[in-house]
Amino acid sequence: MFPWKRELVNYPFYLIMHPFNGYWDLKYERSKKTNLILSFAILFLLALTNILQTQYSGFLVQVVNPDNMNSLMEIVYVVVPVLFWCVANWSLTTLMDGEGKFEEIFTSTCFALIPLVVINFPWIWLSNVISLQETSFFRFSGSVAVAWFLFLMFVGNMTVHQYSPMKTIATGILTIVAMGFMAFLCMLFFSLMQQIVAFVSIIYQEIVLRS
Amino acid sequence: MLKRIAHLRGCLLLAICCLLGLGAGGTLVHANDGASSYNYSYWGDTVAAPRAYEATSLYNGAKLGAGQLKNPADLFVTADQQLYVLDSGNNRILVLDRQFKLLRVIDSFQRDGKQESFLNPQGLFVTDRQELIVADTGNKRIVHLDQDGRLVKVIDSPKSELLAEGFKFEPVRVVADKAQRIYAMAAGVYDGFMEFSASGDFTSFIGANRVNFDPTDYLWKMLSTRQQRSQMVMFTPTEFTNLDINDEGFLYATNGQASDNVKKLNAQGSDILRREGYFPPEGDIRFTSLDGPTRLVDIDVADSEIFAILDATRGRIFTYNGDGHFMYVFGGIGNQLGEFNTPVAIERLGDDYLVLDQALGEITVFQSTEYGRTLNEAVRSYYKGEEEKAYELFQQTINMNANLEFAYSGIGKALLRQGEYGDAMRYFKQSMDQKGYSKAFLLYRKQVLREHFTAIMTGVAVLAVALVLLRRYLKHKGGKKNVPMEA
Repeated sequence: MFPWKRELVNYPFYLIMHPFNGYWDLKYERSKKTNLILSFAILFLLALTNILQTQYSGFLVQVVNPDNMNSLMEIVYVVVPVLFWCVANWSLTTLMDGEGKFEEIFTSTCFALIPLVVINFPWIWLSNVISLQETSFFRFSGSVAVAWFLFLMFVGNMTVHQYSPMKTIATGILTIVAMGFMAFLCMLFFSLMQQIVAFVSIIYQEIVLRS
Repeated sequence: MLKRIAHLRGCLLLAICCLLGLGAGGTLVHANDGASSYNYSYWGDTVAAPRAYEATSLYNGAKLGAGQLKNPADLFVTADQQLYVLDSGNNRILVLDRQFKLLRVIDSFQRDGKQESFLNPQGLFVTDRQELIVADTGNKRIVHLDQDGRLVKVIDSPKSELLAEGFKFEPVRVVADKAQRIYAMAAGVYDGFMEFSASGDFTSFIGANRVNFDPTDYLWKMLSTRQQRSQMVMFTPTEFTNLDINDEGFLYATNGQASDNVKKLNAQGSDILRREGYFPPEGDIRFTSLDGPTRLVDIDVADSEIFAILDATRGRIFTYNGDGHFMYVFGGIGNQLGEFNTPVAIERLGDDYLVLDQALGEITVFQSTEYGRTLNEAVRSYYKGEEEKAYELFQQTINMNANLEFAYSGIGKALLRQGEYGDAMRYFKQSMDQKGYSKAFLLYRKQVLREHFTAIMTGVAVLAVALVLLRRYLKHKGGKKNVPMEA
C-alpha cells in the first residue's frame, strides 16, 4: 500500500528492537541515501521534541523560565554534540583500525537517538495529565530512553567499526575525552579570533581618528 | 471571578497597548512606590511591590523626656503594649506606654540591703508577669527583677562541667519562656544558647550553629604541621546574633552568616523553621559583592508565626510568614525618616514596627499602609484556617500587588476547598506551587472522568472495535503483498 513505508518507518523501529541485525543492514545492505535522509529526519525530530518539551511539558515535571527559553539553542544542543561525537569518533577510529566511514558513524549515531524521540515525544502530552506522585513514571521512562540510547550507541559503534565490546567501550571513553579537547580548541579559536578582530578594529579606529 | 477576568482580558490588553504607547505614563504610576519596596519572584528576580509600611514618627531621648539616649541596645514590647528601652550607655531602662510617654526609669535595684546598678547592659526581656530580666553584660550577670523592681535572682558565674575553666560569662541577650527558664546568648560562646532553670542554675547549651569553613583553609590545615596549626584560626561554629521567643515557647534565632541565618529552635534545639517560600528566609538573595550579603542583627516574632528580621548591612526589615514566604521589606540606610544609621533592634507594637537606632539613639515607628494591613490580615486568617476570609483578603492584596506570587496559592487553597478544582489549578500554577497543583489536578481529573465516564467508555469501545475491524480488513486485502521484514 505504501511502498516507502517499509524503508522509512518500519526499518528504524526494526533497528531499535534488533540493533545487531539492524546495524549490520545499515552498514552493508541499505542505500546510503535513505540512511542519510532518515538520519537528518531523526535529528530534526529530536530537536523538535526538545523544543516542544520545554514549551508544552506538564507543570509538574518541568518548570522552565520563559525568559530563558530559546528554540535555536535547543537545536544547537542537539546538533553540536552529535557533530562533535562523530568527528571525534571518526578521528580516533581511523587511527585505531576502525572500519567505519564518517557517514556510517553519523548515521549509526543518529539512529541511536530514536528512543529519545519515540519515548519522550508522547510524554510531552502525557506529562500534562499526571499528578506529582505519578511523575516517577515520567522520570523512569526518561532513564529508560537514555539507557536504550546508550546501548544502541554501543552496538552501533561496535558493528560499524567491527570492534570487540571492550575496544568499543575504550574508544567510547576516548571519544568523550577527544570531544573535550575539541570543545577547548573551539573556545580557544573563537577567543583568539575575537581578539584579532578587536585588534584590527582598534587599529582602524586609531588611523581614522588620527588622519 | 476568573471568568470575568478572562472577559476583561481583551480590554486589558488594549489598555496595556495604550499604556505602552504612552511609555512614561506607565512607569509614573509606580514611581511613588519607590525602590525600597520589592519582592522576589519565583525566578529570583526583584519585582516591584507597593509599600507595606511607612515611617510615621521618630522618637529620641529628648522627645521622650529622658535626656539623650546613649548607645541604646535593645527594645522590648510587652503583651499589654508597654515599651521597654534599654539605654545601655546610661545604664538604665526606660519604660514607656503606648503613646511613648515616659512611665518610669529603672536604673538600680536593692541587693542584700545595698543599692546596685547596671553596667553596660545589652539585652532585656519582660515576662508575661511583668518581670524584668536584664543581661547586665558589664557586670557579667543576668539580673531578674519582679514587677515592682525587687530583686528575684542574680545569675552570675554559672558552674557546670560543660563550661571550660576560667569561662567568662558575658550575657548579651536574654529571653525567658512561660516556665521561667531563661535562655541567654553570651559573648564568645559557640555552643549555642545557655539555658538556665527557673532557679537560675545552668542546665545546658541549646541549638549550636554548624561549623562552616573554607575548603582551601582546610587543605592548608591538612598540609601544615601541628605547630603551624596551633597558630592558625580554629574552625568554630558561628555565634548567634540575636534571639526571640514566641507564645508557644519556640526560640527564633539569627546568626551572622550570609545564608541559613534564621533558625526556629524547639526544646531539643533542632531547627524547625519552615522554608517553603521560593527562597529560604535569609534577607536579600541578590546583592552586589561590594555591599556584601545580609547581616542579621535582630529578629522579632509576632502572632501567626509572622517574623521579621533586621539586616544591619542595608538597614532593611524583611518580614516572612510562618511558611517562610517573603511578605514585604522596608527601611534602609540613610538620613531620611524611615532610614537608619546603625539599626540594632526591632519590635512590634501591635501592628506597628519599632526600629531602634544605636548610634543616633532614636526609635522609628513604622505604620502599615492599606496594602500592608490587608496582607497582614490575609496571612493571619490563612494561618487561623479561615479560608473564606483569607480568600477575600488575598484577592484584595493581589489587586494591589499582582507580583505577590504566594498569595495566589492562598486563593488556590480556598478554591480547592470550595470544589473549584480547575480554577484552583490555575491559581496554583500562577504561584508555582507544584504540590497544591497536583492536589487540585487529581481532584479535577477524577471529577472530569466521573462526569464523562459514559462518553469516554463508549469512545474507547468503539475505537477498539474499529481497530479490530480495520486490522482484519487490511490483512484480508494486503496480506499477500506485505511480506514481514524479519522473515
